[in-house]
Amino acid sequence: MIGLLLLLWSAFAHAAPPTDVTVEAPRNNSGLDLVVKWTAASDEGSGTTGYTVLRSPTEAGPYEVTKAALPLGTTEIIDKVTTDARTNPPGAEYFYRVVALQEGAPLFIPGDGDQVAAESEAFAAALLSTQPTSPAVRGVPSASLVAISVGRMLLLAMIVTIGVLMTFFARQAQKGKEIFIRRIPGIDAIEEGIGRATEMGKPVLYVPGIDELQDIQTIASMLILGQVSKMVAEYQADLIVSCCIPIVREVADEVVKAGFFQAGHPDAYVPGNTRFISSEQFAFTAGTNGIISREKPATNLYLGRFFAESLILAETGYVNRSIQIAGTAEASQLPFFVAACDYTLIGEELYAVSAYLSKDPRLVSSLKASDYIKVFVAVMLILGTLEITLVGSHFIVDLFTIAEGG
Amino acid sequence: MKRTVPLVLTFFVGMFMIGEFFIPHYQYRLITADFLEWGVVLAAAAFVLGLFNLLQVNLPKVIRRDPDWGYKLLMLVALVVTLVVGFAEGSARQEPGHVYKWIYDAMFVPLNATMFALLAFYIASAAFRAFRARNIDAAILLVAAVIVMLARVPVGESLPIVGDKLPQFMNWLMDVPNIAARRAIFIGAALGAVATGLRVILGIERSHLGGE
Repeated sequence: MIGLLLLLWSAFAHAAPPTDVTVEAPRNNSGLDLVVKWTAASDEGSGTTGYTVLRSPTEAGPYEVTKAALPLGTTEIIDKVTTDARTNPPGAEYFYRVVALQEGAPLFIPGDGDQVAAESEAFAAALLSTQPTSPAVRGVPSASLVAISVGRMLLLAMIVTIGVLMTFFARQAQKGKEIFIRRIPGIDAIEEGIGRATEMGKPVLYVPGIDELQDIQTIASMLILGQVSKMVAEYQADLIVSCCIPIVREVADEVVKAGFFQAGHPDAYVPGNTRFISSEQFAFTAGTNGIISREKPATNLYLGRFFAESLILAETGYVNRSIQIAGTAEASQLPFFVAACDYTLIGEELYAVSAYLSKDPRLVSSLKASDYIKVFVAVMLILGTLEITLVGSHFIVDLFTIAEGG
Repeated sequence: MKRTVPLVLTFFVGMFMIGEFFIPHYQYRLITADFLEWGVVLAAAAFVLGLFNLLQVNLPKVIRRDPDWGYKLLMLVALVVTLVVGFAEGSARQEPGHVYKWIYDAMFVPLNATMFALLAFYIASAAFRAFRARNIDAAILLVAAVIVMLARVPVGESLPIVGDKLPQFMNWLMDVPNIAARRAIFIGAALGAVATGLRVILGIERSHLGGE
């Protein structure tokens, strides 16, 4: 073994190592990353076949492999100093050495489990003794308390502005000033659909999408369900809610119960009508199609985040001759809903439904506030396009760009 | 109290989570990761409640012999068998030769694929309705769809006169008007999402808590 290493050492003794190695903490960083840069070995392409970067908490080692077999031309890596900061917090400093791999250099193939660290150290030691390697360079991880960049500050300013405008318009509305919001036929049709279901003596089916509760579209759908259940209770119709995620069903059940209670008909609430079908996409679709085919709802409301099941549900509803109102911000599913439903709420309209239905001035004011920001964004888009087209500069685009670590 | 506590909790947790975007420090992110993990644990626990809901909804219908009770019985049998086999075979259940694996491969996967395959027929029927040129919007949709469809099949390129121009025109349709409309939807939806998030975090939206 020693003979082989000596043989390799003699072969690579004159090969060039990478130079000008620097290690820096990136801007606006979590404190877990270090950027390692180097200048390519002078014999890159002839003797050098690639690079491996080694890291150690002490200059003397032992080193471990952090990035193995990087291709020729690589001169920079971002190294995460720990993958689990909870059990293994980052150290105060780290030392890096960049190895210029020569033809025939061994490959690092990590094994399983506990052996990886030991294998990595042994392999790094072998590389250090046989391959041309840069001197050790120190790097200090640095965690930023606040990420400061123009893009982020602009975003923060926009969020704060929406909040301020919401408060301003809410106060105006409370003083009696009427806030104009354009008519959205799809939302008006929800009440018509519920009225139709009451007249026909058939239930209303509500599907809040198939995503998790933390998705903003599912949250918006739960808010709409609050208004819809209140309306259904006032009309004394039946409401079936078909859920794909168990936690969504639990929340939907509470929301429906509250809606019926608010409308003054707590007795009309049926617990078994808020149903968990299946957390598997197409099993859920089959189950919901079963509800549409067997219980024949007069009105189907698909409001939330949908994927491939959107058209299967909507076409089944079409065959059943239900009034169908869909709403999603999932752009890829919108054409399916447009083709198969009577009304489709596109993108932002989904988020406007609960405010629009509630007619609560405080909620309506939030629509007005986001409209103003929308106008600002549209103006900046036009100005940015003109700037790039006519002047050729990217000032406005850069202003709104949030680069990684920026 | 029943409404104040959720409102206060939503405000503080919501603000804290927004802070993650502006505070990159890893220790801050460990806390936000904890919050997210609690959400995952809650969601996992809700599966047990989902199981009870399935039994609560379907079992009485089977006992009462309601219409279509046979489907519900089949579903309950499948549920119980899969559950029992899954527990009995333990962590090895997904390895070849196990009943659970057979149930998954021989029953669940084909059924899933069958449902997905239905989409092809539904697309055809929905497209047929959508492409009827009843008004100017539908006519534009029809023309655009025909161009895109023709340009994506070999026969389109072999059409005389327009054949070689079709792929270019299709690319223009997909890259310019299509992308412009999608971006408009994305921007509007993103602002709507911010406004909805703020309404909930600031306690302006309370319909999920039972309203006033």
